[in-house]
Amino acid sequence: MRKFKVNNDAQPKEPTKEQMVRYKDFATISHRYDRIAKRPKRPLYKDPKLFLLLLIIGIVMLLLFLEG
Amino acid sequence: MFKRRKTIPITEAELIRKAQEDHRHFGALYEKYFEQLYRFIFKRLGGDEEVSGDLVQQTFIKAMANLNKYEDRGLPFSAWLYRIAQNEVNMFFRAQKKHYFVEINDRQLTGLLHDLENDQSFSQADIEQLVTIINNLEETQLDLIELRFFQEMSFREIADIYDITEANAKMRLYRLLEKIKHQWKTTL
Repeated sequence: MRKFKVNNDAQPKEPTKEQMVRYKDFATISHRYDRIAKRPKRPLYKDPKLFLLLLIIGIVMLLLFLEG
Repeated sequence: MFKRRKTIPITEAELIRKAQEDHRHFGALYEKYFEQLYRFIFKRLGGDEEVSGDLVQQTFIKAMANLNKYEDRGLPFSAWLYRIAQNEVNMFFRAQKKHYFVEINDRQLTGLLHDLENDQSFSQADIEQLVTIINNLEETQLDLIELRFFQEMSFREIADIYDITEANAKMRLYRLLEKIKHQWKTTL
């Protein structure tokens, strides 16, 4: 928790221009946001539904080929 | 031969709408508000440059992530950003295992002393006593004191941050000052 402490030698703190410039970086923020917001795409074979669908299509194609 | 293309100034509302569609447009808002938010956080932390840098980054990332929820209800966009920054700083304070000390001097307390007891001089012990009372306030009350007297914000700005009316902000502060005054007088 925050507590205040009296120190009469302390000057009210104001950041300098240099300090602000040092931390001003939109590219980093945008990059961090992208990492948080965009989930990595799941490979097709790791999606069980799609994997099943591909398997069924494969079996149907095989059956059709064998029939022919 | 070549006509100079006229630059049409984009309003803040348009900038926000564009940023809501594509976060890369948020850069213009970042440019506009970075310094005032950094200054706000820096002062609240008592001058910790590095932590202020982290928290201001966190504030803007949260703002970008929640920009779609932002509705223009006539309040300045900066008030919405200040509210996020305020939450980030409070979360930081709560996460500290030990007390986080913010140094203040007599000059910063002048406004508060003036509102509590007009035209009266106080000893250092009285001031220390007042600070002890302030330190024992609830977080929301402490925030109000800080915004008004240490960050020197107007009632309008405070009202916008809390999304309340200016009269309500004045009333909250008045009641709080009465409470502090009562506690302080019993100790003087």
